[in-house]
Amino acid sequence: MAGCRGASSAGLIVLVTFVWAASAWAEPQEPSRDLTEMSLEALMTLQVASVYGASKYLQKETDAPGFVTIVTAEEIQRYGYRTLADILRSVPGLTVTSDRNYTYLGVRGFGRPGDYNTRVLLLVDGHRLNDNIYDNAPLGTDFPLDVDLIDRVEVIQGPSSSLYGTNAFFAVVSVITKRAPQVANGELSGSVGSYDSYKARGTYGATLANGLEVMLSTSAYSSRGHRSLFYPEFDDPATNNGIARKADDDRALQLYGLASFHGFTLQGLVGAREKRIPTASFGTVFDDARNRTTDTRGYLDLRYEDTLPYEIGLLARLYYDRVEYYGHYIYAAESAGEAPIENRDLGHGEWVGSEVQLSRVLWDRHKVITGVEYQRNLSQNQKNYDRSPYLLNLDDRRSGSLWAVYGQGEFFLLKNLVLNAGLRYDYYYTFGGTTSPRVALIYHPVAGSTLKLLYGEAFRAPNAYELYYSAAGNQANPGLQPETIRTTQVVIEQELGRHLRLTTAGFYSWIDDLINQETDPADGAIVYRNVQSVTARGVAVVLDGRLPGGIAGRASYTFQDVRDSGTGRVLSNSPQHLGKLNVIAPLFRDWLFLGGELQYTSARRTVRGGEAEAFWVANVTLFTQKLLSGVSFSASVYNLFDQQYGDPGAEEHRQDVIGQDGRTFQLKLTYRF
Amino acid sequence: VTRDRTLRVEATATVAFLLLAPLLSPIVRPADPQARSPSEYEVKAAFVYNFARFIEWPPEAYPDGVAGLVAPLLGDDPFPGVPGEVLRGKSAQGRALATRRLRWGQDVQGCHILYVSPSERARLGQILENVRGQSILTIGDTDGFAQLGGIVNFVLEDGKVRFEINPESAGRARLRISSRLLTLARIIR
Repeated sequence: MAGCRGASSAGLIVLVTFVWAASAWAEPQEPSRDLTEMSLEALMTLQVASVYGASKYLQKETDAPGFVTIVTAEEIQRYGYRTLADILRSVPGLTVTSDRNYTYLGVRGFGRPGDYNTRVLLLVDGHRLNDNIYDNAPLGTDFPLDVDLIDRVEVIQGPSSSLYGTNAFFAVVSVITKRAPQVANGELSGSVGSYDSYKARGTYGATLANGLEVMLSTSAYSSRGHRSLFYPEFDDPATNNGIARKADDDRALQLYGLASFHGFTLQGLVGAREKRIPTASFGTVFDDARNRTTDTRGYLDLRYEDTLPYEIGLLARLYYDRVEYYGHYIYAAESAGEAPIENRDLGHGEWVGSEVQLSRVLWDRHKVITGVEYQRNLSQNQKNYDRSPYLLNLDDRRSGSLWAVYGQGEFFLLKNLVLNAGLRYDYYYTFGGTTSPRVALIYHPVAGSTLKLLYGEAFRAPNAYELYYSAAGNQANPGLQPETIRTTQVVIEQELGRHLRLTTAGFYSWIDDLINQETDPADGAIVYRNVQSVTARGVAVVLDGRLPGGIAGRASYTFQDVRDSGTGRVLSNSPQHLGKLNVIAPLFRDWLFLGGELQYTSARRTVRGGEAEAFWVANVTLFTQKLLSGVSFSASVYNLFDQQYGDPGAEEHRQDVIGQDGRTFQLKLTYRF
Repeated sequence: VTRDRTLRVEATATVAFLLLAPLLSPIVRPADPQARSPSEYEVKAAFVYNFARFIEWPPEAYPDGVAGLVAPLLGDDPFPGVPGEVLRGKSAQGRALATRRLRWGQDVQGCHILYVSPSERARLGQILENVRGQSILTIGDTDGFAQLGGIVNFVLEDGKVRFEINPESAGRARLRISSRLLTLARIIR
């Protein structure tokens, strides 16, 4: 507790200093800012910003109904980000944890152990990536797109079910990919890192004279991981004194393709990853490197964009998605002397869908969009069996349809007051219908100041895993209802001079019927139930700066308080304080850059009532380009000071806290043709 | 209990301060109402104005009776109302700038500057084909527009607006681009 208090005071001091320093640094204002009176050179130094995912069309960040953070391709390069998880770690209010099998995202202090990122909607160019069995949003090496192909990542915190439906509960993570001209004719990239980690990528891009744009890319990744990992919970001669050997390997393969011609865009994506599990999760045998999961996911997405008569914008989408999950688990035999049981856990999901969206500008400024979506789940199958002797534990096959209609309008009530209102109705074959509204008032009292007041309701539908999975110590619960959240937010954005912007976002959320993983006291089985109500509140303060001379960065502090409404206790895996500092400094022209990050996470309660200690992590990357034509190179050190820290485990872990990587490095070379 | 209360008081104070800080900052430092980061399209509109100043049209681009520089926007207005607001009442080379909206299929004859909205990216080839041989400054906002034969194309770099120029296309349209503009542009051949 003392540590938390210290951190909060320290955060406050840092902020006060920042605000005052910011005011002091701000350059003298130019007397006039009629843009047409500025020189070309001056125009080229002006900073502009826009966001897509908050309203499904491009708008200024200050007009977006939400609290928005954007990470660009340059930042991905200059901070040496390896995965989407690395990118999200830098975003104010987000926490990323790992159990050395999957990667989990916590938003605003809410990150339930055992939740596969079901309460965050992950989009790639508007295509939903959360699958139809586990609702899983892959963020680590299982994310099927190479981060080098990302143009930018928009994180919109707050409910967005009024536009997107299920999963858009706490946040939308919208990944926008690069287009062919951004990779020139092509790129070759290779990297090497700690624990025998290697990655290679080849990308081809072309825009032909007839307007056809083509892009193809493939990446392969392999890491041997830690050769041995020590877990004190298993410190017994029978379990190799707690040492898991050669059980941390990680391999992934990614394919990406895009073709765009006359308004049609066909995009395809496949990612496969195999990860060995060193933690003996779900009661499997410890120190057996055969425990592993394989996840394959991919989609084909055909988009058509056009302007219809009466200036109506059209976006139509047809898609096919598929996920395959394959878990190999080794269990001890019931009686000593027998061979261990090889258990297989399978998930097969397949779905097709379509979306039609119309947009129109009314009276030159008000913008209205409306859309319909239909999705047919061809299969949501889960299977579990023991290999020999063969024993079928679960063979659950599901299919069904869902559809939705939505609309959103952006209306200028006054020249500086915007009302953004949206409503969406979703129909599910499992539980019926649900309606999600969102209203935002966006006010610009004076130029450079923005005040946003937002209220939104969102839901998450129970997924097939939570409803029907009943093997390996789990119980099904087909009666699950959707969980709901009501959120009010206040966002204040204030320009401080020309180079700095201070954003303050306060939020208050009420979550009802939370689908929570619990252990049934009767038989010790894991079961999901709509039992909990949670109250979450907090405030984030973010200072964005781009100083003359090319130094750019972001400092943020988040206070978040997430409690069970019944018991009044802070939830597990919920840090109350987060501090983040990101700075890029050009060391020599635009040839050499230093990217540095500092991330603080306060102590978190664990599932079993213990504590994962507070920690700081620092990452540093040196990035060079233009030294040789077409060549860029980066050298990164992650967790520079070799902080020892751990993330809370879930019900399926015996470890209360799961240790994370110490200091690691990566060297990366990219050649652009 | 005391510990919890201290924590709560401190948290409340922190929250109150953080919420108030941005509101106070205009007091701490009187905000210049003009000083804010402009929207992408305000900046682009200002660039368009500059292009009109630093590019010369051949005399035949002004047949009898044409007094103004006609600069329509083709396609969806990516940021409604902005270009008109920034360019209202402006003139370049002694000619008033006239902005208006055009839709695909409408005649582009008599235009001097054609801003092609990103919404038209599906038919850039056709649009450029339609203006071929005319002295129209085509300005695109889509990756690859200059490579396709457009004259100027906007790109965003590090959150700043940059532009590409295809001098060969400019030559074909008989437009003379000042060297000042060329030195600031990324040249596409």
